[in-house]
Amino acid sequence: MTEAGGPDEKPATVRVVIDGREIEAEPGAPLLQVALDHGIQIPHYCYHPKLSIDGSCRMCQVQIQGQKKLAIACNTPCTEGLVVDTRGDEVADARRGVMELLLVNHPLDCPICDQAGECHLQDYSFAHGSHHARTESPRRKGLKRHPIGPRVVFDQERCILCRRCVRFTQEITQTDELRVFGIGDTSHIGTLESRPLDNPYSVNVADICPVGALLSADFHHKRRVWFLDTTASVCAGCANGCNIEIGTWRNEIQRLTPRRNDAVNDTWMCDAGRLGYGFVGAADRIRAARVRIDGEQREVSLQNALDAAAEALRQVRATHGAGAIAIVGSAHLTNEECFRLAAVARDEVQTPHLDLAVPLGTSDAFLVKAEKAANARGARDMGLVPGEGGHDLAGIAAAVEAGEIRALWVVGSRDLEEVIGGERAAKVAAALEVLVVQDVQPSYLTAAATIVLPGATWAEKSGTFTNHAGRVQRIGGAVTPPEGVVVDGELFARLASALAGGAVAAFEPAQVFDQIAAGVATYAGLSHLVLGAGGRNAGAAANGEA
Amino acid sequence: MTLSQQLIERIRAEFPKYPEKRAVLLTALHFVQEEQGGWVPPELIPEIAALLEIHPIDVKEVASFYHMFHEHPVGRSHLQVCTNLSCALRGARGVVRRLEGVLGVRPGELSADGEFSVEEVQCLGSCGSAPVIQVNNEPYLENVALGDVETLVAGLRGRRLAAVGE
Repeated sequence: MTEAGGPDEKPATVRVVIDGREIEAEPGAPLLQVALDHGIQIPHYCYHPKLSIDGSCRMCQVQIQGQKKLAIACNTPCTEGLVVDTRGDEVADARRGVMELLLVNHPLDCPICDQAGECHLQDYSFAHGSHHARTESPRRKGLKRHPIGPRVVFDQERCILCRRCVRFTQEITQTDELRVFGIGDTSHIGTLESRPLDNPYSVNVADICPVGALLSADFHHKRRVWFLDTTASVCAGCANGCNIEIGTWRNEIQRLTPRRNDAVNDTWMCDAGRLGYGFVGAADRIRAARVRIDGEQREVSLQNALDAAAEALRQVRATHGAGAIAIVGSAHLTNEECFRLAAVARDEVQTPHLDLAVPLGTSDAFLVKAEKAANARGARDMGLVPGEGGHDLAGIAAAVEAGEIRALWVVGSRDLEEVIGGERAAKVAAALEVLVVQDVQPSYLTAAATIVLPGATWAEKSGTFTNHAGRVQRIGGAVTPPEGVVVDGELFARLASALAGGAVAAFEPAQVFDQIAAGVATYAGLSHLVLGAGGRNAGAAANGEA
Repeated sequence: MTLSQQLIERIRAEFPKYPEKRAVLLTALHFVQEEQGGWVPPELIPEIAALLEIHPIDVKEVASFYHMFHEHPVGRSHLQVCTNLSCALRGARGVVRRLEGVLGVRPGELSADGEFSVEEVQCLGSCGSAPVIQVNNEPYLENVALGDVETLVAGLRGRRLAAVGE
């Protein structure tokens, strides 16, 4: 991940030679990692860049000039003049030997194993194994489909005892649920009966398991991985902005997995974020616009609903002034959408009463942040804050109840209900003349609304989020929205045109971002291209940082 | 099930011998197994851990690693048959099969009367007299032949009857 993190001071380097290639390396860096960083593939199971060295799998053995025996590359620190060969016969023999031992008890049930297609054991067996077994004794039996925790499934027979999962629970979560019990032939991964693998990050063990022993219960037997399309994105669960890959099949999300970014989430993500994608394809997803006609909400075309919303807002403005209209934005919107919404509030609606409803929850000292939306910081950066003399969220609610604000446009109604409370939300809804709600799932407020506009989810958008620390990161559209639904930024563009007349300016996230870069000082110098896969810190370009 | 006060005191008395309490784990497990009649009941693991100020999973890890600690009840006569190389070459597996037949138990099981259990163990260090069986902590039975099995079991039963008779 060369794009992640800032440039550190360059330490003095040492020169090592791997397979005849001279390579500059940090002194003491694991030889295995240095080789991998330079595209030299040394097979390995137990080594993981974010965990301590274990040295148990013996797969990464290499020949080091001047040493009689092969050495494991993971536990060989780079020193000046190290000459390494990864391609000799002796190395190939060692790899074949390790593979044979690992496969003595492996069930070879790849056809029904979720890991197949992204399995180190499978890949290395093809690359370094011998394709036939010399043993005839029966394979060791073990637990199958065992719920080792509420979100992780364990297959003991497939385990190769690399102890990555054990080290993860010891070093990363420090919850220590997993250990190797037994000895030799009886060795197996296990938990105390009274203490299953149940921590907020438990499913990461499925990612780091190099074989199919630990699996995500959510993804268990769901889809063969080679059928998945993957899209690089960012988790929408909280303000941390963990980098993820969205795995989809026929326009449906199958799983979220963490994507390495050392500046944000290393290689991890929390279970809540990983498993919190259900709303995207939920049965009760709002798929059509609705307008209240004669006291009852009726499905109408999106354009009719937008026209109705514009007309209602215009009427309130004509009767009571623009100050009688308030807008509550969502921290789930992308920066580009927030920028567009702020512009609509300022230019077309012309109200200063603009704020965000950001749901809060628990946080921890690792990845999980209290703000349960991905882009609260970005939304504020984009101007979703009260304008000159404008009310904040509490003020807006009070002004509605006082009859000063007559029309409210809410993006993300569940967040608003959570922040001000259901009872208050009901009072607010009752006091309004016009309630426009833009959302993806039904809520009390969508039921009470004058006009309902179907929103889109983060998985359906491209654009950027800015995390709690100010890192601006791109998200990618992994699925297309339900038929008839457009992304929220497009809704803002169309509503702007319905309010002010004139042609609809198409909503192009990359172009809007260029406007952001030109208009928001801390985003100067950034663009979708500059952000790349790992993102950049807002303000970094202005400060001359990379 | 709890550790007896006497046992707790016995374990505590070991503390001064080591730089840290966790070092007493093996000794503590031996004491517990002795008091419990040959096994370490899992319910006692949290208590042992608390006493040594370590995590229960540390205790289970160690107790499961060593063959001499038992996680299930064993018979009053616990027959440990070495099946490592020398003993295996001299017919130890046949001895195990014969014991299973005579006693009606498989390795790891307990006979119906609670009298016998059989376990295959790692090298007992007596390759010159293979195959070797050790009953509980008693001196080895050496050069065990298949034909000795019935006599051996009868002898152990007789000893038990005699002990009860006393």
